[in-house]
Formats: sequence, structure tokens, C-alpha cells
Amino acid sequence: MDTQWPRWEVFKQDTPHKPHQAVGSVHAADPEHALLTARNVFARRPQAVSMWVARAEDIYAWTKEEIAQSQLLRAEHDRAYSPPSSPRKYLVFRKTSHKRSMTFVDHVGEVEARTPEEALAQAQTTFTDAEALAWWVVPADKVYQTDPSPDTIESWFAPAKDKTYKQQQFYATVGSHISKHKLGRGVEDD
Amino acid sequence: MTSAVKEALIAKLTALADDEVILAHRNSEWTGHGPILEEDIALANIVQDELGHATLWFGLRQQLDGSDPDRLAFFRDANEYRCCELVELPKGDWAFTMLRQYLFDLYEALWLEAARHSSYPPLADAAQKIIREERFHLQHTQAWVERLGQGTEESNRRLQQALDMQWGYAQQLFVPIPGEELLAAEGIVPDLARVKEGWLEHSTRHLQNAGLKLPINPGYQPTSRAYHTEHLWSILAEMQSTARWDAEAKVW
Repeated sequence: MDTQWPRWEVFKQDTPHKPHQAVGSVHAADPEHALLTARNVFARRPQAVSMWVARAEDIYAWTKEEIAQSQLLRAEHDRAYSPPSSPRKYLVFRKTSHKRSMTFVDHVGEVEARTPEEALAQAQTTFTDAEALAWWVVPADKVYQTDPSPDTIESWFAPAKDKTYKQQQFYATVGSHISKHKLGRGVEDD
Repeated sequence: MTSAVKEALIAKLTALADDEVILAHRNSEWTGHGPILEEDIALANIVQDELGHATLWFGLRQQLDGSDPDRLAFFRDANEYRCCELVELPKGDWAFTMLRQYLFDLYEALWLEAARHSSYPPLADAAQKIIREERFHLQHTQAWVERLGQGTEESNRRLQQALDMQWGYAQQLFVPIPGEELLAAEGIVPDLARVKEGWLEHSTRHLQNAGLKLPINPGYQPTSRAYHTEHLWSILAEMQSTARWDAEAKVW
């Protein structure tokens, strides 16, 4: 018997005007549990204002190469999924750069479509401002978000702004989040 | 502030800090042994937060009597500690640890809510600062109690066992320390009887919704923070050994 909990992809939003970005994954038993662990794993230090989680198996993903080689249909057949007849909302995510060490896939918007493949086709014609290295589409009702109330933002995300942390490359160095320096509040080094 | 009030406040801050230090150290025993990596990280986060709270309480005490927080944590013997017995108990299984953390988080969140209105501004400010992360801790442990309680027969049984064991110990959180009535009368700390009302109401509802039975006989209920379980000696021996081994060391 597989006792492993399902894997959830985590999307973190740093400030209200930035897109949600894929930051990694967690294993969890259910959506609420996934959000709780995601907050612990990905938002303890640098700041965040919102998080989304979606089961990895609910995410439809294609790389530029896969699309170029028309592997779309084959990928589709790997999934046990029967498309609903009426259109539903999909969230669209796009990766546009190899530059960052973490695989950032940014939320770019929503489309209405009957199947994930249709959602991809729509995304390709809708979001044309940058070349896509990879696309992810997720049915909107499969994405779970943190409570947007100010109270939750205050208790889940605000404390991280005031915390110091050890730098990965220089473990003896204790620093604080970059936003503190921008505000001119200086380094907490004690 | 009269000297009697000051003395009582020093004792209260010490009790608050000691609960956090010992519970944090106890839970740190899970580091590397959590049931799943994500929960291992989550509990380590909670531990660090609780240690942060201890630092704040010791810091407030330092303002009153100039004591050194590191000396208090690492060079006091068990007889001088003023933690409650609940936090000393061995970590047990995951159900035991999650239930204890839940009972403690609920108490702490409610106490802090009330303490934000303290007439002693440094205490009100500290409560305001740490209530935020305490609310998150509570959501996390609350979720675990619900899932273990309603999970499998085994998880329910383990959680029920933990509750039968801890319920009486948890009542000590609401036993005032000597002199605490002076502090409550001046509005410096919340009235523990009021905090207990809220705690009983919330915990009873949540535990019953999770499919647990509140113990009819609460069992042993410790009443004085001057007494401790045998477990405090061994946890302090481990926690303090490095500091005591080379007390002059500037860097570890």
C-alpha cells in the first residue's frame, strides 16, 4: 500500500501586486494541511501575503519542447481525466526564464476552456508578451488559497518580516530580509 | 511599582519563560524524527518561535532586575525552574506531542489576547508582537487534533490516551503563582480564571468535535511550580551540558 501523502505544488505571492509563483512542493493529507505545511516550509523567512496549493496530479504541464514535438495528445492520454462538457475556469502559469536557481513558474491569468489542452491553446494566444519555456494549467476549483483576511495575513505572514536568518553561503552570518534594508532599518546582527 | 508587585512580576515572567524554554526543548527532540519532513520543519519552526517568546519574557525580566537570560536558562538547577509539569513530560508519540502543543497553544493564545491590554506597557507590547505567530501555531495543532481524532481507530486511540494523561496536568496552566493576585489586581496580567473559562470552552468543543471524550476523572493536577517531575532533571542535564561544560566560551 502506498502510504505517501499526495504531493502539492505551492505558489507564493510576495506582495499584493506580484504574481503567485511556484516555489516548490509539500506532501500533505488535505488542502488545509497543505497550506499549513506550505507556510512553514516556504514562508517562514522572506515575506509573503498569500499562498496557493494544488495537487500535483491536477496540474497539466507542457514544456516548449513538448509542444514543439506535438506531444500534447500523448501527454493527455496519460491522465485519467474526463473533460466536462461545459467550459470551466483554468489558472494559467508560465515559466519564462532559466535564470533563477529556483524554478519560478508565474501565474499569468485565467482562461475558460473545456479541456486542459484547450486551456493551453487559449493561453498560448492570450499571454503573448513573453516566450514561454513551460506552461502549467490548473482547474481553478483545484487551487486552494490561504484565507485573504487581514488577520490571517498578520498571523501567517507578517512575523516573517521581523525575523533574522542565517545566510546559506555564510552560515555564521545572521541577516534580515532585504525589505528591511530598503526601509533603512539596518541589520539585526546579535 | 511597589517592591511586592515587582517581585511578583519577576516571578511571573520567569514562569512564562520557563514554560516556553522547556516545551521548546522537549519538542526539539523531534528534529530529524518527525513523521514527515514537512512536519519536522513545522515543529522546528514552532520550537524556534517558542524560544523567541522565552527570550522576550526573560528580556522583560532583565529590565526589572538586570538578570542575564542565558544564565537563567543554562545555569539554574531544576529546583529553581518555575515551569509547569505538563511541558516536562517526555515527548511520547506524535499524538502526545501534538495534543500537548494544542492545549498549550490555546492557553497561550488566549492569555496573550488578554495580556495585550496589560497596564504594564512592555508586557502589552510583547503580547501584541507574539500573538500573531501564536495564532498560526494554534491553527496548525488544532488541525492535527482534528485529523488524529477523526482519522483511524489507532490515531483516535493514541490521541485519547494522550488526553487522559495530559488533561489534569494542563489545569496547572491556570493555577496562579504566589503573588499573582497583586499583578491581576493592577491589571498587569490577565485574570487566569477568565482565561481558563475561554480555554475550557474552546478545548471542550474542539476535542469533542474531534471525537474525543474528556476524562471524567482528571487525575493528577499539579498545583505548585516549585515542584517538578523527575523528567525536568534529565532534560536540563541535556540542555545545559554544553553551556556548563565551558561557561566562559564566547562562541559555541
